[in-house]
Amino acid sequence: MAAAGASGWAAVCEKFRTARTLSAVESRKDPETEPYRSKYSARALLQEVKQLLSAAEEGDEPRLLAVRRAVLEYELGVNHTDTEELSAGEEHLQRCTQLLEPHRLSPDCVSLYIQAQNNLGILWSERDEIKTAQTYLESAEALYNQYMKEDGNPPLDPSEHFMSEEEKLTDQERSKRFEKAYTHTLYYLAQVYQHLEMIEKAAQYCHTTLKRQLEYCGYYPVEWALNAATLSQYYLSKQCFMESRHCLAAASVIFSQAGQVPSAEDNEMEQDQQDLRQRKAEIARCWIKYCLNLLQSARKLLEDNIGELDPDRQSELKAQRKKEEDEKENGRKKAVLFGTSDICDSVLAMEEKVSSVYPLDFQEAREIFLVGQNYVQEAKEFFQVDGYVTDHIEIVQDHSALFKVLAFFEEDYERRCKMHKRRIDMLEPLYTDLNPQYYLLISRQLQFELADTYYEMMDLKVAIGNRLEELDSHTIKKINSLAQLAIKYYELFLDSLRNPDKVFPEQLEEDVLRPAMVAKFHIARLYGKLITSDSKKQLENMQTSLEYYTFLVDYCEKYPDAVRAIETELELSKEMVGLLPTRMERLRAKLCPFI
Amino acid sequence: SVEGDAIKVYVRVRPPSEGTALMDGEQGLCLSVLSSNTIRLHSKPEPKIFTFDYVANMETTQESVFSSVAKNIVESCMNGYNGTIFAYGQTGSGKTFTMMGPSDSDNFTHSLRGVIPRSFEYLFFLIEREKEKAGSGKSFLCKCSFIEIYNEQIFDLLDSASAGLFLREHIKKGVFVDGAVEQVLASAAEAYQVLTMGWRNRRVASTSMNRESSRSHAVFTITVESMEKNNEVVNIRSSLLNLVDLAGSERQKDTHTEGLRLKEAGNINRSLSCLGQVITALVDVGNGKQRHICYRDSKLTFLLRDSLGGNAKTCIIANVHPGSRCFGETLSTLNFAQRAKLIKNKAVVNEDTQGNVS
Repeated sequence: MAAAGASGWAAVCEKFRTARTLSAVESRKDPETEPYRSKYSARALLQEVKQLLSAAEEGDEPRLLAVRRAVLEYELGVNHTDTEELSAGEEHLQRCTQLLEPHRLSPDCVSLYIQAQNNLGILWSERDEIKTAQTYLESAEALYNQYMKEDGNPPLDPSEHFMSEEEKLTDQERSKRFEKAYTHTLYYLAQVYQHLEMIEKAAQYCHTTLKRQLEYCGYYPVEWALNAATLSQYYLSKQCFMESRHCLAAASVIFSQAGQVPSAEDNEMEQDQQDLRQRKAEIARCWIKYCLNLLQSARKLLEDNIGELDPDRQSELKAQRKKEEDEKENGRKKAVLFGTSDICDSVLAMEEKVSSVYPLDFQEAREIFLVGQNYVQEAKEFFQVDGYVTDHIEIVQDHSALFKVLAFFEEDYERRCKMHKRRIDMLEPLYTDLNPQYYLLISRQLQFELADTYYEMMDLKVAIGNRLEELDSHTIKKINSLAQLAIKYYELFLDSLRNPDKVFPEQLEEDVLRPAMVAKFHIARLYGKLITSDSKKQLENMQTSLEYYTFLVDYCEKYPDAVRAIETELELSKEMVGLLPTRMERLRAKLCPFI
Repeated sequence: SVEGDAIKVYVRVRPPSEGTALMDGEQGLCLSVLSSNTIRLHSKPEPKIFTFDYVANMETTQESVFSSVAKNIVESCMNGYNGTIFAYGQTGSGKTFTMMGPSDSDNFTHSLRGVIPRSFEYLFFLIEREKEKAGSGKSFLCKCSFIEIYNEQIFDLLDSASAGLFLREHIKKGVFVDGAVEQVLASAAEAYQVLTMGWRNRRVASTSMNRESSRSHAVFTITVESMEKNNEVVNIRSSLLNLVDLAGSERQKDTHTEGLRLKEAGNINRSLSCLGQVITALVDVGNGKQRHICYRDSKLTFLLRDSLGGNAKTCIIANVHPGSRCFGETLSTLNFAQRAKLIKNKAVVNEDTQGNVS
């Protein structure tokens, strides 16, 4: 600084620093009526600095000057975009990158260049030009990678260009700020990819952002944990159980850090505690879904065409797994792992508590079931029915679903039946209390699930009965009463579709079409299964059954679009509509042999 | 019933404020109403046509807005349905005029009174009629509450001393604001009195605590309970009517109304919080797999969960200002309204019964 001298330079630095404080700190306190007051003052200061710089032009090293100018252009660019003057902001930012272009890979420029690119990305997204934003951000990403490969030393932070030697930052601080700027690049890219519906890529960038937040300690435990838990749900929908478990384990570990932070104020304390308990329960719910999905996916793999466990398939998969284990390291994903040594160990320990491979027999399924059930208890501690009806019932529904899928692995029919009874016992009282006027949707779900469970239990009792030489009256009574209960709930479900004048809709809406049709179909079958020694009663039941089958056939004739939703059921219904009248005829003939 | 559950969307165009009409002339308008259900937005290069259930032009009277929008909903409310009427639009687009009427009058008989006072009149008219018809066998109880949601916090407008309230659910009564004052109403005039008192609280709050009214949502709820005695059998029916004045749409940058812009991180640590929203969006498009999303409902959508695609009759009045300066906001309001039409009662039933057909 030949012209201004040392004291002049100190004044410049001071101005610059004031501008930054105004912009970052003071502006948050600006009144609503003048939201940009501090920003405008900061802008004026920056302009002054710019003037002082050009006055000092001669005698200074051109490169140094260019970089300092670039810093100012950057600050001005951000200032203008902050105050909604996008075009002016763009000009400044463009000038900044132009000045830096030749030096962008050098340690004193790289961070500034990346941040300018980040801001250009934001700017273009404000103009709804996501593609343009993407190019800036991706080039920032590439520059970071190139720099780290070729140099890798902690680069200068942009603010340092206006600092005296003794104020300059430590390498550690430099590196921290640089990495943060790059984390922001990734975070913006995550958003860009989401907007462009590049879902997989967006997820990957979210994942990396989370990982980097952890590495550079830029996170709030609760928020981080919730993000990780939510991300686990993304992996669930992709059937990536190992990744899903990793996210959840990390969420649980990081969350446990949150509870230890003492709250500042007493009256906020209770609210915070309440909030923490809710978050904990939310994470538990993510775990429940994890266990449930793992079990359900395993079931899909193992079941035969009538939904029973296929032993051939089972031994095949077991052999396959054995082989993979022998080949060792069964693909521990190279993917992104969270945490450095300490955290990583805790996360691994957490992961060990539940498997991430498909369970192939009852024993393995039971272990996952039990983990899921524990999380059900944990989630229910917070989401009690009093105050959290919807959440509570959803958790109980998950619990029921856990039993349902566990039952699939159970070979003993009696025990299987008992598992379904457990489902009834947890769902029925909730259903009875629930007011369908406010909870129509859940109410329907419960009706249907109760109906289905009774239906399943009846099927099991029939199967048990078939092994006996002769059906005893107790079994018959049991089968009939289960069938009646199933019919009752299916009918309740169908009734819920009626309008206030109790009329069943002429045409069913798409979202209830299949369930309604399945309900009709099952009722038809149930009437066919009712056991009675009274032939007249039997004839009546057949008649009812026929009516329900006929409904399906007629409906599909009238609305051919419906066929797609219930192909199998329709086929069987048609068959029954053909068969039943003959059977009834025969029965009638037996009843009145003289006619 | 096939179309019955979808949300009905009405658009109302206010007259340009006096100044702008003179300045900009006819050319200053960014839209024209083509018919009673279509509107054309003069966008470039191609104009855009939007179709809604009903479009009210600048000349449409308050009475006719009421009859086409609210009458039906109030009637269903008497039949045991829950009903909700929303007003949506940018600040200055005429939401308050549509819902309340001219701002300077507490006069409930004002000829320009809005949808809310007219709904009160109609509701109590129907109740009286019903009572006459049924004689002593039937009785009614009306209660109301009035709350404000600001910054995801709930305040009771009928009890300005109360602190933030919480939303809870009751297995019989649905979602409710825990601790909100409930006032019994005997007549439409009384209802209007409560409403204006609360409304004033809303404005008071805006100065004393530096809250701006257009940044908050206000929800006025009337519970109608009827009791019918029929041979010793007592039949109780209850339904809700929600009248909602949403915050100015330009303030709702956090909801789904915003465009493609990225969330900035700024300098502070807290900054990356919107990552959660990105992830939530990723999970939301999942393929029907069982999943749980940690971040969910806003207070408003939770409170009105029932109305947004539930067991209720709902309509949205989207208010727009025709001035060409408001083009951007008007477009976003119309886009929002267009999307709202697609909200429907999704009665997803857990049903996986393959294999049970044997």
